[in-house]
Order: sequence, then structure tokens, then C-alpha cells
Amino acid sequence: MLEARAFEPEFLRKLDRLVLGIKRARTVRAGQRALGRIQGLGIEPENFKAYAPGDDLRFLDWNAFARFDELMLRTYRVDRQVEVTALVDASASMGLPERDDKLGLALAIGASLAYIGMADNDAVRIGAFAMHRGAMKLDATPFHRRRESYLNFRPFVMSVKAGGETRLGAAVDQLLLQRRPAGTVVVISDFLVNESDVEDALKRLVAARHEVKVVHVMGEQESIAAYPSGLFRVRDAETGEVRETVLGPATAAAIRRKIEKIAVRVREICTMHAITYAQAVGAGNLESIIERELPRLGIVR
Amino acid sequence: MGLLNPQNFVYGLSLALLVLIYLRSRSRPAIEVSSLMLFDEVPAPVASVRHVRIEPLFWLEMATLTALTLAIAGLYVMRPRTPGHGRIHALVFDLGAGMSAREGSGTRLDQARRDAMEIINQAPAGDEFSVIAYALEAQARHPQTANLADLHKALDDLAPMAVPARTVALRAALIRARGASEIELFADRPPAAAILADAASTARVNFHLVGSGDSNLAIVSLAPGIPGSTRGRAVIRNFSARPYPCELAIDLGNREEFHQTLMLAPREQVVVPFGPLKTGGVLHARILTPDAIDADNDRYAYAPSDGAARVLVLSPDAAVRDDIARVLLAVNANFQIETADPVKYPGGANASGANAKPLELAVMHDCYVPAAVAASTLLIYPPQLGKNLRYAAGIGISVNATLPSADIRSDAMGEARGIESLTLGATRIVAIPEWMDLIATATGPAHSSIPLAAIGRGAGGPVGVLAFDIRDHLLLAPDHLDALVLTVDLIKQLTAPRDILIVPTGADVSLPASGAARVTQPDASVRTVTADKWGRVRIRPLQAGRYSVESGGETTQVFANYYDATESDLGAKSQAEANAPAENAATASNAQSAGEVQPLVFILVALALLALTIESAILIGHAGRWGMRHV
Repeated sequence: MLEARAFEPEFLRKLDRLVLGIKRARTVRAGQRALGRIQGLGIEPENFKAYAPGDDLRFLDWNAFARFDELMLRTYRVDRQVEVTALVDASASMGLPERDDKLGLALAIGASLAYIGMADNDAVRIGAFAMHRGAMKLDATPFHRRRESYLNFRPFVMSVKAGGETRLGAAVDQLLLQRRPAGTVVVISDFLVNESDVEDALKRLVAARHEVKVVHVMGEQESIAAYPSGLFRVRDAETGEVRETVLGPATAAAIRRKIEKIAVRVREICTMHAITYAQAVGAGNLESIIERELPRLGIVR
Repeated sequence: MGLLNPQNFVYGLSLALLVLIYLRSRSRPAIEVSSLMLFDEVPAPVASVRHVRIEPLFWLEMATLTALTLAIAGLYVMRPRTPGHGRIHALVFDLGAGMSAREGSGTRLDQARRDAMEIINQAPAGDEFSVIAYALEAQARHPQTANLADLHKALDDLAPMAVPARTVALRAALIRARGASEIELFADRPPAAAILADAASTARVNFHLVGSGDSNLAIVSLAPGIPGSTRGRAVIRNFSARPYPCELAIDLGNREEFHQTLMLAPREQVVVPFGPLKTGGVLHARILTPDAIDADNDRYAYAPSDGAARVLVLSPDAAVRDDIARVLLAVNANFQIETADPVKYPGGANASGANAKPLELAVMHDCYVPAAVAASTLLIYPPQLGKNLRYAAGIGISVNATLPSADIRSDAMGEARGIESLTLGATRIVAIPEWMDLIATATGPAHSSIPLAAIGRGAGGPVGVLAFDIRDHLLLAPDHLDALVLTVDLIKQLTAPRDILIVPTGADVSLPASGAARVTQPDASVRTVTADKWGRVRIRPLQAGRYSVESGGETTQVFANYYDATESDLGAKSQAEANAPAENAATASNAQSAGEVQPLVFILVALALLALTIESAILIGHAGRWGMRHV
């Protein structure tokens, strides 16, 4: 199981030097009009302003007072904590083909991002969603901020099993109902679902002022359509629908074309909504994905 | 609608096999994939199914097998009979003695003949008729034809026989009539319901009961007694439900021995004693009172002659010689018996001088002396001869082995059927020539059937064989009366006159003949019979009375007696009442067979072929679309 790899010390050591590529300074807006940045406690100087009664004397710039004989206050950009949610698709399609272990790869990426997020003491959680018997089941861990708490994710990560249908829209609905402050949501899925559902879900996340990042998980075997040749009954793992088809080179080519189309379409949707899109292909490529692919796309730095 | 043989539905198990194959095919390799979205652009999905799929090939094969199963089981429909021409009728006649009963101006057979002619005359043009008769056995008298002249001639040629009509013969006759659409059965008594029901399964059966009278007298038996010693007796039976006078005459040769008129009570059987006869000869009893059946009004018997005759007894055992001599004297007290040890028997003229009378009978026990020449020979416990010695050609037997014991089979003793089964002592396994008639057989260790007693008339005269040993006074032992009965029976037949034979009607009679034999029957008709390779002619008397067989200047008289209690009992009315279920069954079968059975075999086979053709077309289409590998 690949998700266990995310808790191995050797693997975690490689993540120690990485941080999440998320925006911490947020512009306060009222409708379409920008009101300015959020100021407050922080270490990054923002500006100077004249002292006014009631200001915190700790921020008086005594050097400026000595030079100009005016009480000046130094202001700082607020040091904002971001809530990061790694939202993992745990539908049945993530469990197939078994050799690809897409769910393991998705959970390992989610846990890795959580570990990386903890480097900045950001509040991090991992959630898994799937539709069971018509009801969306969104399970998520509590927020954890410090790396000492990272191992608290392990029981949850190890307990997630593939099953049910993918309904990204329903999962986002349930997530938004929690009314958390806008943060960063990393959606990790194979996106084998209706493209309108994908677009709708991502749009609503963006509309809720979340910073959304998408990791498109794909299996190696699935990508090349490595199926045996012959007449088979093909069963959809999520819907149970059965279709008889002749598997062979022509079929494999058609499947590969379809996978490429899905990837292109998801990428288009992400581009359209300014969402960072990354592909994670192959469970054996976990480390290169974390160390090279995600930094290349700015999801981690 | 119905089925001819529902048991053939066992072939319907092929349907279950087909379903199993179908289920097996449904369980062909399945792959679970993450999403069928990936297969949206796959060229040709065969079908998409959730629960039950309509598989044309499966249903076509199901239809094929169902049609074939129904065809094998014999699905048919009942169609109304097509009126008019083209029907085949079988006219089945009972020719038993009962059909010769006179009623009115003719016999019962005449009445049946008239009924048949009426049916023929009323039938539409184009209908064909066949004529079948039965008594002891079934016989097709004329194949189906529409030629009225031929039919009239075939009907005119029918004549009743002096034999009972047997049930098996009726069954055989109805089987021969199976090709017909209608069977007209003419008999003087209703057959069993089951027989008619069987016949009615394939054709309409119309039973015509002919005759109604019951006035018949019969001579049940005739025993001549011993001439000069015991009285003879005749048994007369009145089958009528009314008192009936019976004028009985008994002749011996040309001389009348007894003549009396008796009054018999309804259905009474009386014993009429007569004699004793003064001499032996052919005894002829006659009922002179006119009654229905003539065949049972005459009966013949042979009164043994008490004339002196020389008999030679040869045996290595003195006790056996003594026992055989006692038995011979019991059969005929006037026998002149000579006994000898075969080793010391000189043979030929040396035995009793040149002027001695020829031997009438030679009895040889456990020995064979070719020099002992007699008119007839009885071999008892014949020995297995050495390499250089063989039985004479006129005897024709050969001995293969000796068994320590054997059991008489009571079911194969012919005339001696009354004998109980019992164990005999040492018994020889004798190969009997084909011209001899087996009287009794036995079973032994590792042998299911051993000839025990046989008799025949060969070229050298009558020969009898008893295969068992009679040492230790077997013939005189009270527990082995059967052995004594067999021995006495053979001696009587061997010493009977060779030119006189008294047999029951229907029996096979074989007689020695040189070349062809001229047979004069009781109705004065003459026919010629050719002798077989053993120099014997075989006749089967089917009329009661005297047959005269002439061959090579010699004439043999064969007297055929007829009596059958069932056939002679003409109480057809009471019997019909007793067999009312039979008639009901016949009526029911008629009602059931009012329609015509129309088998659907051809239609069902055509449907099966059509289904197979469609299936083949579908498969060819699949092959053209996806390639042969996936068909």
C-alpha cells in the first residue's frame, strides 16, 4: 500500500525542505472593489504611518522618531495562517486497476502535502469522499498544525478504502457547508466523472475564495490500456453497468484516446478558473511527483 | 392434441443443458474497470446488460431443441376425419371353431362375411380394404386393395378352423392392421378391453359381434378302456342354457359299439360308459343330434390291440431287465418278452431262430446293440459309444456326456405336463436329431436344458429315447411315478400302429414319407406336401376328422380331435355381458378416435431447421463484423 510510504521517516526527510506554494497575503475585497491588504501582526514590513492614540506602542519606530522627531509606527503584513485541505477521491474507480494503486498514490500525495503544509504551521487536514448508496460520504481528519501531530493522520489515511461513486460536486457542497475560512483545497482525483460535475465543483470552490489546486491521478496500466485480448464482459466498478466488448489493440488505442481527452478537458477547466493543475501518473513515481512535478507547477516550493 | 410417447420428453434434458451452456457463457471472463467512460470510444460494444439479456442465439437454439423434443415425443393434433376416399380399412376375422356355429341359414362366419360386404359396399369409392384372419395365429389373407372382385373372393375363401381363437393371434392380427385408419373386427365374442385400447391408439376400431345362440354339445374326451378288460367312457357336455338331447354313437372300426340318446341338463357334463371293447382299433364317437358346432361332435381314440408281439429287453443290469419286463406286461399283457445281457446277446437270426416272428420293440438300457433289429426301438440311458462305434443312421442320436443328476422341468414336458418336477439320477446328455419330438427336458449342473425324453419316426421306424438311468428300481419307486409315466407313454406310442395317429387339431404332425406325400383332408380336398431332408412330411390339421397321408404306397391315417371348452361355449350373450367393460372400452376408443391423428413431426422439424438457418445467418453476420475468433 503506497499510502504507508507517506509515513516513512526516510520519505519524510525529503519533504522537510519543501513548503506549500500558497498565497498568504490576501486582498480584502468588497464586491469587485479592492479595499487593501490585510495588515496586522507579522514580520514582513508593510508601511509606516503616523502615530495615533491607541496604537500599539510596541511598533513605534524609535529610529525614525530620533531622526525626524515624529512618532511613526511601522506596520507589518499580517502573518496569515492558511487552512489547507487535501481532498482525496476515494471512489471505486480509484481502486482500479489494482496494480496501479491510484488511491494509494492519491493518499500519499495528500499526506505529503499535509506534511509539507505543517512546515509553516498551517492548519492541515485530509479528507476523503465518495458517494455511497446515493449519499455523499465526506470523511476528514481534524486540522493539525504542527509536524509533531503528523502521525495523527496515519490511522485515517490507512483506513480509507476505495468504494462508491465519484460525485465531486456533492463532495464540494458538503465541504462548503462546513463554513470554514477560505483556504487552500487540493483536489486529488482520477476525474473519471462527468466533466460538467468537475467544472461545477471547481467553480464553486473558487467562488468560495479557496485557493484550489488539482492533482490528476492516473495509473500507469490504465493510461496505456493494458488489458488482455479477447471477448470480455467489462463491468463499471462504480455503477455496476456491464458491457460486452472485444478487447484488443483497437480498443486499447480508443481507451488511450479517451484518457487523453479527459486529461485535456480537466486541464482546460483548471486553466479557465486559474487553478493549478498537475498530473500524477504512476504509483511508482511518487517521489519524483513530490520532488519534481509539484514544485515545477508551484504547488510546493 | 396429445403426445404419442411422453417418455421421450427425456430428450428435453437437452434444454437444461442449453441453459447451462448459456449460463456458462454468461460467466465468461469479466473485467472490472474503473469506469466505462474509458470505453466510450471503443468501436462496437456487443450489448449492454444489467440483469436479463435477450440473446437471440440462445432463444433460437431453445426453439430448435424444443421443436425437436416435441417431434420425438410425437406431438400430434386431432383433426376431423376427412370424409370421402382414401381411407384404408382392415377387415379382421375370427376363424376359430366358434365361427363355424350354425345360426339360421348360415354360420357365424357367413354373418360376418355379410356384414363385411355391407361395409365394403357402403364405403366411398377409393377406399381400400385388407383382409386379415386369425385363429391359432394371424394371417393376412389379402393385402389392401380397392378391387371389389378380389375382396369378394378373399372373403369367400375364409373358412372356420377347428381350433380355438387365441388371444395372441388376435393381438398379432390387430398389429398387422395398424396401417389402416379403420379396423373392422368380426368375432363371436368380445375381446379384452386392453387389446382394443391398444389398437384404438392408431386407428378407429369397430367391433362387430356376430352370433347369439348357445345350443352346442361337445365330446369332451373319449377313453377306450382296455379291450376285454375295462370299460371305456365318453364325456359329453351341454353348453346350452337349456336341456338338450344328445344322440351318441360310438363305433369301433365299422362296427357300432354304443348308441344311445341322452338328455343333458343345462350346462351339464356327463360321463357315458361303454364296453369293454372286445378288440382294439380306432374308436369313433359321434354326436348325431344337430347342434351349432360340428367339429366337437366327433372324437377318435385308439384302443390298444392285445395282440401278441415280441419285445426284446437288453440291459447289463438284471434288475433293470426285470423292471422293464414288468412295465411292458402292464402295457400289454400279451407281449412276448425276451431279456438278455447285451454282452451275451447273439443278435440277428441267432437270437430266436430263423422262424421267429420279427421283433416289435427293442428296449436297450445302457447299451446299444446294432444287431438287435426291431420295428421300433426304445433307448434308455443310451451309452456314449467309442470312436469306432456309432448309432445307426436310423436312430440318429449321439451322446455327449453324463451328468450325475438332473431335474425334470415341469414346464417343458408336453403331454406329460402333469408330472411334478423332481430330481433324477444319472442322466446322459443326448443330442436329439431334428426329426424327433421332445417330450420332456431337464436341467442339470451347468446345463439349462437337457433332452430327457423324445420320440420320432425315422427311416428305420419309430425311435424313443429316455436319457435318465432307471437302475435301483427307479421305475417301480412310488416317489418317481413321473419316470414311470414317461416310460409307459413312450412304450405306448412306440407300439401303437404306425399307420394310425390321433392328434389334437392345431398340432404339428410329422410323418415319414418318401418324396412327396398326398394329403386328403376331412373335407375331401387333396393337397401335396413335400418331404424334408430327413424324409418326413409335416402337416397341421386345422379341421377335425380324418386325414389320409399317402406316400410311397403306404397310407397313414391321422385323426384330428377338436375340443376347447372356451371356444365351444357359445354363450356369447352371457360372455358379452361379462365383458361389458370391453365393449365400453371399444366404444370409448371409438369416440376417442373419432378424429384423425395428425402428427406434427414435419412441421416441428421444419421449425427447427428454420431456427437453425436464422441462427447460422446471425453467426455469419457476427463473423463478418468482428472476425471468426469472436463468433
